[in-house]
Amino acid sequence: MVFQIFSNCIGTFLFKDGKIAAEKLFSDDQIISYHDKVKEGKEIAPEKDMLSKNAGAEVLRGKIPPGPVLKQFSEAKYLKRMREASIIITKREIAESVRRDHLIIQASNNIEETDKVINNLAKRLREWYELYNPEFSKSIESHEKFAEIIQEKSRKELLEEIGLKEELSMGAAFSTEDLEPIMRLAAGITSFADLRSEQTAYVEKVMKDLLPNVNAVAGALIGAKLLARAGSLEKLSLFPASTVQLLGAEKALFRHIKTGARPPKFGLIINHPLVSRAKSSVRGKAARMVADKISIAAKIDFFKGEYHGDDLKKELEAKLR
Amino acid sequence: MTIQENRLKGIFTEKKGKKIIFLTKNLTPGKTVYGESTYRAGKDEYREWVHTRSKLGAALAKKVTQLGIYPGSKVLYLGASTGTTASHVSDVVGNDGFVFALDFAPRTTRNLMYLCELRKNMSPIIADAKHPERYAGQVTIVDCVFQDIAQRDQAEIFMKNCDAFLKKDGFGVLAVKARSVDVAKKPKQVFQQVRAYLESRMIIVDYKELDPFEKDHCIFVCKKK
Ligand SMILES: C[S@@+](CC[C@H](N)C(=O)[O-])C[C@H]1O[C@@H](n2cnc3c(N)ncnc32)[C@H](O)[C@@H]1O
Repeated sequence: MVFQIFSNCIGTFLFKDGKIAAEKLFSDDQIISYHDKVKEGKEIAPEKDMLSKNAGAEVLRGKIPPGPVLKQFSEAKYLKRMREASIIITKREIAESVRRDHLIIQASNNIEETDKVINNLAKRLREWYELYNPEFSKSIESHEKFAEIIQEKSRKELLEEIGLKEELSMGAAFSTEDLEPIMRLAAGITSFADLRSEQTAYVEKVMKDLLPNVNAVAGALIGAKLLARAGSLEKLSLFPASTVQLLGAEKALFRHIKTGARPPKFGLIINHPLVSRAKSSVRGKAARMVADKISIAAKIDFFKGEYHGDDLKKELEAKLR
Repeated sequence: MTIQENRLKGIFTEKKGKKIIFLTKNLTPGKTVYGESTYRAGKDEYREWVHTRSKLGAALAKKVTQLGIYPGSKVLYLGASTGTTASHVSDVVGNDGFVFALDFAPRTTRNLMYLCELRKNMSPIIADAKHPERYAGQVTIVDCVFQDIAQRDQAEIFMKNCDAFLKKDGFGVLAVKARSVDVAKKPKQVFQQVRAYLESRMIIVDYKELDPFEKDHCIFVCKKK
């Protein structure tokens, strides 16, 4: 006779020649606490107990049990319990899967989206406000500053700043009622700009805590964007430097593979000061070196190694000087 | 309204102009899963199986002769994602069957969870299909292994799962994405290579290329020797 002991998500079972001869079903609380152990191939209390009563039984642990054993659980009562157990386990696994790198990714993506929103709204603001005051708009490039200043100062004051008389402007006469919605829009843009800087500060803080080395080498925002493209710190740390160099250029890369168009030389990394400031003849080389160091930094951060950020950065700057 | 039973058990069809659409009988009437249309006939509600949203749906549209999934089947579904296709599989197998819906991405499994809570014949599993020993405690022997995961070694993963969980004479259904196996090779070459591998261990009972609905994808329906 063959005796086997097998634990799954609903209980521990004794098999006698492939048929269930004894069982210890788990309570809801036990389901969670035993699941991890069983998955890691560790012994759990009910197994020990069953083994003491059936010395010599083979414990099927950490491997796939034979078909006849698994088949026993297709019975409706076991299936029903298995579904309940899997729902409990999966819910907990979903909750536990959320890590802080996911929070950086959400915030970083939100910063990119906020940038787009500010850009779109500001274009509308300028169109609209220019009916009232066309001349001033061109004197200020920053959308955020523009939105702010038109709320603070009158048309007369603003025109004076660029040396124009209000009477000679091409702007139409607006009632307060017609000016109000424009000012509301400007206020909205200002508040999006505030949101952006708060979230930037948040990303900088969490990057420094969680990816100190990447933060030092890539800078917080570029580092966060690379992280977002990779999907997680683990994935980023597994990427070779050549992949890091092209993160953010997936479309161009794909076009290259499909149509043989010229391969991209860099993705997001182009925004790194050491790359963007490099002469165009050495930009490819600079991108490669920066990617190389970011890749090393990500590996250190993933394995919670020591801080080498300053050294990495210095080495890089020395090489690219 | 002329909903008809298809030659394939558990599948229904309806003429819409010149076109034929495929339907499954909704196990949870009043609830749809991915924005699909529903049709009523008597007491029953049917959900359209949108062939552009599901590889198995595309296989139906390409007139696959066997699905490998029947009323009452127990199915191990690898790569369930948010459950678009898995929900139709759940309809087909009905309350006498069962679907173990596995995916390794927690984010998509969150949506799958809502589905599993509604459907009493569906169980969610978060695990990597590469490691069957890690979820052997959450499944049983099944009548069908269905796999749709975009992985380089998808054929090997499929075989591992069929070895572990598929009963003798059971069906293995594999959706292959050529680009995940090898970006440089022509899709046909990749399909050929997968076919040779499968044939060493299984009997291929049907094969369909899924374009134009799913570009560079194909589906193998196999039987375990
Ligand atoms: C193309 S989608 C499947 C779509 C789904 N079959 C449908 O039609 O509704 C592929 C899924 O496989 C999952 N996946 C990829 N590799 C996996 C693996 N090794 N183990 C488990 N799931 C995997 C992905 O998370 C993704 O959700």
